[in-house]
Amino acid sequence: MRFSLPSLPTKLDDLVLLDLAYIVVLLPLILMLKVPMILFSIIVLSLLYFKRTPAGNGLILFVFILGVLSVYLSMYGAFSFRGLSRLKLFLELLVYVLLVVVAMQRLTRKINFYLLISPFLFLALSLFFYHSIVMLTYVIFEVFFLLWMILTHRMQSDLVESFRSAMVMFMYSLPWVVVLFIFFPRISFEHANYGFKGETVQRMGHDGTMYLDNKALLVPSNRIVMEVGFEKQVPPSHYLYFRGSILYIDKKDHWEPIPPFVKRKNHVSYKKDGIKIAYKVTLYPTQKRWIYLLDIPQSPVKESVLDRDLISTVKHFIKEPIHYTARSTLNSKFYDKVDRYTLKVSSRFDPKQNPKTYEEALKIKNLYVSKKERAKAIVTFFHTKSLTYTLKPEPLDINHTTDSFLFDKKRGYCVHFASSFTTMARMAGIPARIVTGYKGDSSNALNNYLAVKEKDAHAWVELYMNEHWVRYETTSTASHIEINTVGSENEQTNSPTQSPLAKKINLYLMYAKYQVETWILYYSNIRQKQLLQYAKNNPRFIFIFVISLIALLIITFLIITYLKRPRYSSEALSILQPLLRSLKKKGFVRKKDESLHQYFMRYIEDNQEKKDLRIHIKEIDKIYELIVYRNLYTKELVQRLKKLIKEFHKI
Amino acid sequence: MIYIISPEFTPIIDMLEKYLIGKRETIALSLATFFAGGHLLLEDIPGVGKTTLAKHLSQVLGLDFGRIQFTSDMLPSDILGINYYNQKDGAFVFRKGPIFSSFLLADEINRSMPKTQSALLQAMEEGVVTIDAVAYILPKPFFVIGTQNPHEEVGTFPLPNSQLDRFMCSFGIGYPDKSSERDILLGKKIDTKTQIMFSPAQIEALMHKASEVKLSKVLLDFLQEIIAFTRESGKFEYGLSTRGALSLVAMVKSWAMLQGRDYAIPDDVQMVTPFVCAHRLVFREGTTSTKRIDVEIFTHIHPDT
Repeated sequence: MRFSLPSLPTKLDDLVLLDLAYIVVLLPLILMLKVPMILFSIIVLSLLYFKRTPAGNGLILFVFILGVLSVYLSMYGAFSFRGLSRLKLFLELLVYVLLVVVAMQRLTRKINFYLLISPFLFLALSLFFYHSIVMLTYVIFEVFFLLWMILTHRMQSDLVESFRSAMVMFMYSLPWVVVLFIFFPRISFEHANYGFKGETVQRMGHDGTMYLDNKALLVPSNRIVMEVGFEKQVPPSHYLYFRGSILYIDKKDHWEPIPPFVKRKNHVSYKKDGIKIAYKVTLYPTQKRWIYLLDIPQSPVKESVLDRDLISTVKHFIKEPIHYTARSTLNSKFYDKVDRYTLKVSSRFDPKQNPKTYEEALKIKNLYVSKKERAKAIVTFFHTKSLTYTLKPEPLDINHTTDSFLFDKKRGYCVHFASSFTTMARMAGIPARIVTGYKGDSSNALNNYLAVKEKDAHAWVELYMNEHWVRYETTSTASHIEINTVGSENEQTNSPTQSPLAKKINLYLMYAKYQVETWILYYSNIRQKQLLQYAKNNPRFIFIFVISLIALLIITFLIITYLKRPRYSSEALSILQPLLRSLKKKGFVRKKDESLHQYFMRYIEDNQEKKDLRIHIKEIDKIYELIVYRNLYTKELVQRLKKLIKEFHKI
Repeated sequence: MIYIISPEFTPIIDMLEKYLIGKRETIALSLATFFAGGHLLLEDIPGVGKTTLAKHLSQVLGLDFGRIQFTSDMLPSDILGINYYNQKDGAFVFRKGPIFSSFLLADEINRSMPKTQSALLQAMEEGVVTIDAVAYILPKPFFVIGTQNPHEEVGTFPLPNSQLDRFMCSFGIGYPDKSSERDILLGKKIDTKTQIMFSPAQIEALMHKASEVKLSKVLLDFLQEIIAFTRESGKFEYGLSTRGALSLVAMVKSWAMLQGRDYAIPDDVQMVTPFVCAHRLVFREGTTSTKRIDVEIFTHIHPDT
C-alpha cells in the first residue's frame, strides 16, 4: 500500500469538475432516494472507482438493466399511470431515470452535452422536493458552485483563479436577482400543478370532515393559513382555538357535520363572558368557505354568516386573500340552550361498534351521577390507558376505531383522541361534539403577531354540561409524546433552563425564519399584489425600497472592486502607486513591457531641465530597486520612500 | 534598452570597439557570456567580424587562443588530439589537439559531421576529454565561441537541439550602422596594440562575483513567469529546458555584474532573455528570431506589476 497523498493538481480535468458538480447537486437528492436507488448509486460509484478505463457496451448494458430494476423496485406499489398523475411521484421517476442515464454516460468517461446539462436538471428537480430555509441557502451555494465549475472549465484555469471570477460574476448578478425576484410575474400554486393532481391539498390543514382511516395522511406543512395581529400581546396558547367546523355525526371512518339542509334555529344564543379581545386576520386562499374565529365571536365579520354553532362561513370559496377584523370573548366554557335536534345528534352512538369502550363507559355512567364527574372519570380512564401522541400512528381498525385506538394501538394524534373521547362521552351519557379548526402555536408568535400554519390544524372536544359547552383538550390525556413529531409544542422547545437572552435570541431567530418563509420561500403573486398595494399607500416605503436598492448596488460594487483590486508583486510597489498615478495623470503613461526603472529613466530624460525632479525620481528608483531587488527591506528605507513620494507632489 | 556598463568594464569594451566599430552591445554580451561561464554561438553571415571579435576578446582576456575551422571531412581526433607512436622513445605520446586552449573558436561548426560536432560539444559540457581511456582535463576557464552561417544549407549538418542547448547564448553581429561603416571604410588606424586587461586571478574573481549576484523573490517570480510562458503559452514547439533556465539565470547575474550591481533587476532579464532563448525555442508558426522572442514574451509578461 502506498500512503502518499495525491497532490492537488492546479488544473483539474473536466470530468473531475463534473464529478464535483454532481457531488454538490446530488447531496440533497440522496435524502429522497429509496434503498434500491442508493444501492444502484453505490454500485455505479464503485464501478467508477475500480474501472478507470472507459466502460464497454457490456458493462453499460449491465448498468442499464440494474438501473431499470432499481427504478422499478423504488417505484414498486406506486407504479401505475394513475400514480404518475401525482406530480411528486412523477418527478421522483424523473430523478431516477436521469440518475440511471447519467450513470451510463459517466461510465463511458466521455463528456457529452447531456452530461453537461444534467447537474442543472438535478438542481431543478431537487427544488420540487425541498422548500426550506436550509434548501434555499443550499441552492444559492449550488448556483454559485456550478458557476464556479463552469468558469473553471471555460477559463482552463486553476480553482483559485476561477473562484475570484465566479465571485465577481455572482456579485454582478445579485442586484438583478433581487429586482427580478420581487417583480417577476408569478403564478399561483394551483396554476403550477400543470394538470397534475394536487398533493393531498384537501387533507392538509382544516377541511370540513375528519378522517380516521389510514388515508388520513398527516403532512406537516409549514404553509401559512393566516396571519393574526392582536391589539396587545398574543394571548396564551390555551385560548388560541380558531373554530372551523363542528362535527356531530359518526360515520365509522370519519366524522361529519350536521348537513346544511337540516333547519335549525339560526340565531346565536351563546352567552358571552370572559376576556374581550380584538384582532386582525389575513386569511390566505384556502379554496374553502370557513372564516376562522377565536371563540366566542361577538359578531359575524364582513359578509360572513355566523351559524348557531358559532361557525362563520362565506358564500364563495376563498380564492383571494381576505382581511378581516374580529372581536371575540375568550372563554373555554360558554352558555348555550341547545335545541332538541342538536341534543339528539350529539348524543347518538352505536354500542355495537365499540363494545369494549361501551362497557367501560357504562361502568362510569353507573358510578357517577353528575356529568362533570363522569367527564373527569373519562379523562382519568384515558390517562390509565397510557396513550401516545404521535404524528405517525399505525392505522386503526376502521370498523371499531375507538376500541382499536383505546385498547389496541394506543397511538394517534388529535383526530384519534377527539373521536374516541367523543364516542366514550356520548356512551357515558354526556352530549359531545368535535370541533375542528386551528390551534395557534405560540412558537409562531412574536409580540402581538401570530402565524397559523397548516400543520396547526387541530381537533378538540366540547361536552354539553349544565347548559354549557365545555372545551376538553383531549390530546392532553396522552401519557407519552413523541418529541420528534411535535416540534411545535412550545413548552418543550423553550425549556425553562434557557437564559432570558438565549430565549430572546431564539425568538428573533424564529421571527427571522418566519419572515424568510413568508417573504422568500412562499413569495407568490399574492405577496406581489400585497407589496404593490402597500407601496401605493406608503410613499415612504418606495423611498426606502429605492434607497436599499441603491445601497445594495453600492455594496456589490464595493465587493467587486475589492475582488478585482490590483495585486502588486511587492509592498514597495503598492507604496509607489500614488506616484505612478500622478505621473499617469500628467500624461506620462508607462508602457506595458517597461520595467519601473526604464519608466523612471524615460521620465528623467524627458524632464532634463528639472534638476530637482531628476534627483528626486532617481532616489525613488534607487530605493525601490534596493528594497525589491536587493532585498534591503528596512523600516528606514520604506519610510524614506514614503516621504519622497509625499514630497514629489510639492515639486 | 538603456544600460550603463560599470567603469570596471568600460576600458575593455572601448578597446575591443576599435576592432569592431559600433558593436558595443555585442561585445558586452560576449563578455557577459564569458563571465557567466557559458559558451557562445555566433550566428551570422561571413565577414561581419565573428572571428575578429573572438580573436581580440581572447587577447584582451589574456587567454591562449585556439581555432578550429570545421570542414566536412574532419574527425574527432582533429579536435581532441591523438596518441602517436614515438619511435625514439618507443612509446605512445599524446599530442594535444586545438581543444586544449582556454579560448576556442570553432568556426563554421555546422560544416563537420555530427560525430565531430558531438566530440566538441561533449568536451564543452564536461570540461574533460577522454582519449584511449585516459581523461585529460581541459584548462580553466574554457570558453568556446562557435560560429555558424544560418543561411548556407548545402553541405552542412545542422546542430540538433540537444547540442544547441549547450551554448548559453546566441546572437548575430549584424551589419554596422552608417557612421560606423564610414569609419570602417575610411580605414581608421588603430594606434594602440591590444593589451591584456585581466589577470587570470581577476578573471576567476569576476566569474565568482557573477555567480554571487543576488536574485530577489520578486525577480525570481518574474523569471519563473517567463520560463512558464515558454512552456505553457502554446506559442512554442517546446518550452525552455531546465538547463536553459539555469543559463538564463547565469546570464542575468553576469549581465547585472557588468553594470556594477550585486543584484539583478528586470531590465537585466529583459536584456538577456532573447539571446538565451533564440537558439532554444522554436515558434510553432513563423520564423524564430531574437526580436520576435523579445516581443512575444514581454508583451505577455510584464515586470513590476
